[in-house]
Amino acid sequence: MANFNIDAKKEMTYDAIVIGSGISGGWAAKELCEKGLKTLVLERGRIVEHVKDYPTMNIDPWDMELRGGLTPEEKKTYKSSIRSGWVGTETKHFFADDAANPYTEVKPFMWIRGHQMGGRSLLWGKQTYRWSDLDFEANAKDGHGVDWPIRYKDIAPWYEYVEKFAGISGEALGLPQLPDSHFLPPMELNCVEKHIKSKIEKDFPGRNMIIGRAAHLTEPLNGRGKCQYRNRCSRGCPYGAYFSSNAVTLPAANATGNLTIRPYSIVQSIIYDDAKGKATGVRIIDAETNEAIDYSAKIIFCNASTLSSTQILMNSTSNRFENGLGNDSEELGHNLMDHTYRVGAMGKVDGFDDKYYKGRRPNGIYIPRYVNIDEKTKTDKFLRGFGFQGGGGRAGIQVAANIESFGANYKDNILKPGPWEFFITGFAECLPYHDNKVTLNKNVLDKWGQPTLSIDGEFKDNEKAINKQIQEDAIVMLEKSGLKDVVGFDNEHGFGYGVHEMGTARMGRDPKTSVLNEFNQVHGAKNVFVTDGACMTSSSCVNPSLTYMAITARAANHAVSELKKYNI
Amino acid sequence: MNRRKAIQKTGLLAGTAVLMPSLLSLLQSCKTESRLDWQPLFLTDDEAKTISTLIDMILPRTDTPGALDVKVDLFIDKVFAKTYDESGQQKVRTDIAEFNADCKKNFGELFIGLNEQDRLEVLKTAEASSGKFNGGIWGTAAGKQEPVGFYRSLKSMAIWAYFSSEEIGENVLNYDPIPMGYQGCIPVSDVGNRWSL
Repeated sequence: MANFNIDAKKEMTYDAIVIGSGISGGWAAKELCEKGLKTLVLERGRIVEHVKDYPTMNIDPWDMELRGGLTPEEKKTYKSSIRSGWVGTETKHFFADDAANPYTEVKPFMWIRGHQMGGRSLLWGKQTYRWSDLDFEANAKDGHGVDWPIRYKDIAPWYEYVEKFAGISGEALGLPQLPDSHFLPPMELNCVEKHIKSKIEKDFPGRNMIIGRAAHLTEPLNGRGKCQYRNRCSRGCPYGAYFSSNAVTLPAANATGNLTIRPYSIVQSIIYDDAKGKATGVRIIDAETNEAIDYSAKIIFCNASTLSSTQILMNSTSNRFENGLGNDSEELGHNLMDHTYRVGAMGKVDGFDDKYYKGRRPNGIYIPRYVNIDEKTKTDKFLRGFGFQGGGGRAGIQVAANIESFGANYKDNILKPGPWEFFITGFAECLPYHDNKVTLNKNVLDKWGQPTLSIDGEFKDNEKAINKQIQEDAIVMLEKSGLKDVVGFDNEHGFGYGVHEMGTARMGRDPKTSVLNEFNQVHGAKNVFVTDGACMTSSSCVNPSLTYMAITARAANHAVSELKKYNI
Repeated sequence: MNRRKAIQKTGLLAGTAVLMPSLLSLLQSCKTESRLDWQPLFLTDDEAKTISTLIDMILPRTDTPGALDVKVDLFIDKVFAKTYDESGQQKVRTDIAEFNADCKKNFGELFIGLNEQDRLEVLKTAEASSGKFNGGIWGTAAGKQEPVGFYRSLKSMAIWAYFSSEEIGENVLNYDPIPMGYQGCIPVSDVGNRWSL
């Protein structure tokens, strides 16, 4: 493992600064370094080196004193992210300290943050799907939000570019609403999933059920090993089988010799020079010494994560931008979106008791959007659409605990595999509403005296109408497929649970109504690029991370080209 | 359990050296039935005896180890001690007290004072009257989870503690830390017991 250059003392000036090292920041660093730019990556947290800093990657439940359980003190530290159910002894070191980094929930918002090198790329779900023109044209067609300044054809080559390097496994379907990626071989469905797939595709023409398209290697790629089916991804993968900045993009950036990564660097603001009419650098606070330090660069990529990037822009004030960098439109902070989460159905599957599977597949099934994709599938109940994730398997502890029995026979029975279960859970597109927003809160300061965010977002009537349809369709599909004891559910989660927060610094054609242009450049500060989830103009119903990767590579290419032409 | 029966069961397990220490302690506890042979971190001795008796009835020793053999009671006590906050801990005490109060009301004795037949009745009633867990997805419940009550909750903890113990996780269930691949459809007879991880 190559050592990273973390010495940002001798050099205060770089060609480029990248704020954040998560999924999009890692791509920005790789692209800019490979194009020859001396690049400084500013990371809020600690260095996490691939493999070396994955302390729990090989431990078993009995190796942990509390077998994954957290102490009351730890529960306070992770008081927001713990609501997800994903924080345990084996993963907690990749979740941010919520107590030291407060925010205000005007309406409920579960904010998961990863304050370390690699950010949430260590924790993400790895579901990777291309968006289509159904998504990029959605705002223009129904008039919500502003029009995307790009179309599928603009980003398609960049999807292919990032997919070839990231490694996406999946099955090609040829669906216009979910374009195929450049695929490695798909993961396998299990017997129950295959059975339900054939039922759904027969009984519901126009609907498909496929194995999830995922950033897991099913073949070795560029020295990374393939998935070993341990399903311990969020502890860090010793094989580098899933895409993370730590295993994939940052080592590539480092290999160029152009990368410096500075840990414990909390970005206070982007420095804008009124006379030059552009940004000249970044001011940080050293998280350990509280020292304020300015770094200079020709271009700046802001990839701190959706809400943190917007927070930085808001905190970057100057005579030219009194209300935050690039906020001429007064749209900065607005149009926050997420996907609805945890609404669907589940049930039991009879007839497969003699079948089992081997391996813990870190992936499930996907049912692509089938409503409002053309005239024939148009509904008058809501705008936009939804897709499903899900999967089948043999039930675990709580189903065993539900059985109304105890004693010798009971114990021997639950040592055997449980009954087969199958579930699907929908992800609904959220419209961009101006009043779903974040604002800078100067009354609540973090550990370093910096203003924090107030988050005020909620799902509204259109999303609720989609959720109603999701649950109805889920129940009908599972019942028609022969499942027993089918139960619909809607956890009525607020924003944040989807962990697909998007928007608040949207791209657009008109500087009067958007923050970023078609190449993610800040209107009025063209050498500042925002290419994480903040840039999103609409939310699709499709997982967004692959689009962040493609948009970032595209913007980095444009940035270097403009730099060479002395345009920025 | 009487001493003769315990020795018979020991015979069944002859050769499984790894179990011997817990068997010895079990035999000792038979001799001094009312004395707890471990020091709880959170529970009182009487509460610990209640928990130990309950989980031994739920997951007794058969030709595989029982809950007590793999110290499920000690682990549950540790979970109460180290992962519950004060109000959660208070709730545990209240729940155990209420469970015992019901035993007293219906059978005239606290749970550990009941004969085997009455204890079986108590558990049968608890099974029938306790709530159920919703299905779980990706670490949390699907839909709003209503409280399942003391008994079902303890039973679920006992199964978790049992399955996640080293002895059961490595030697009884199918331990496969690095599967290396995925086979989506194989005969269950190729595997036998459920996968451990």
